[in-house]
Amino acid sequence: MFPEPVSADESQSDPDGSTVSRLRPYLLTAGRTEPVDHTLEIEAQVQTTGLGATAYRRLAFEYREIVQLCTTTMSVAEVAARLRLHIGVARVLVADLAAQGFLIVQRPVLHYSQDVTLIERVIRGLEAIR
Amino acid sequence: MDSKPSAEPLPGARRPPVPVKIVIAGGFGVGKTTAVSVISEIPPLTTEAAITSVAADIDRTGEVPAKVTTTVALDFGCITIDEGLKLYLFGTPGQDRFGFMWHDLSEGALGALVVVDARRIDDCYPAVDYFEKIGLPFVVGVNMFNGILTHDLADLRWALAVDPGIPLITFDARDRLSVRDALLSVLRHTLSRTDAA
Repeated sequence: MFPEPVSADESQSDPDGSTVSRLRPYLLTAGRTEPVDHTLEIEAQVQTTGLGATAYRRLAFEYREIVQLCTTTMSVAEVAARLRLHIGVARVLVADLAAQGFLIVQRPVLHYSQDVTLIERVIRGLEAIR
Repeated sequence: MDSKPSAEPLPGARRPPVPVKIVIAGGFGVGKTTAVSVISEIPPLTTEAAITSVAADIDRTGEVPAKVTTTVALDFGCITIDEGLKLYLFGTPGQDRFGFMWHDLSEGALGALVVVDARRIDDCYPAVDYFEKIGLPFVVGVNMFNGILTHDLADLRWALAVDPGIPLITFDARDRLSVRDALLSVLRHTLSRTDAA
């Protein structure tokens, strides 16, 4: 099951609930700021799975938003920006969902800086920009 | 009828592309955000970078630590290279006090572009020092505000005191093709380092 978000002390939550306070994001992640897989890169690609789409209704609000958003593939950084979360918080939530099989995460291949073929591919892609 | 939901992509969805990234570093107001926005295929997004260091205490004490909010805006954009590859550009302030996020940004990066304003070159030193230390290939790009280079490039190289092996280029952060060429310089430099290794 999902960890239940710690409920915020009423006195500390935003009156209108419309902005993300500096406190709230960490409460969303049940006090954890280390993702389940704490090495998840901010450029890692995130995509909702069939399982995630099915589980959608059962999910807590913050998780639900991510599952909904990631029916279009995007990076962890984009998830953070679009949902106005700190990157660290987005990482935690994405890692939670991925651990449940609700999201596919395509991580970068590290040390590809040694991969000549890949770099040449990026060069060709950039050269095509006019 | 009863097709079981699985941890596979949604019907019709491609598997996610492999992400690659280039870091764009430099002092405040040198043109990093402009450079990202002029070439990104999505409007540049801004988010607050994580604080990765305050983790454990929260669980232990059940209290929020008094000091959790060392945040900084992080601009980024992306370019689809092909179906299976997507290039991310992360613009990060090049000051020492933001060094805590450089590791995350640099890990696995193809290279870095250090953007310099010729009128205040000191701003780029922390980034230059950091990339040298971790061995990330980088190019120093002097942003030509108004298309004018106020100093001779040779003078700038002397003032910057960067290694002769580090490419020093000029570019215009407002010009899409100029930014493209600056990024190409970074990748070609990375490639030359790879060949040499």
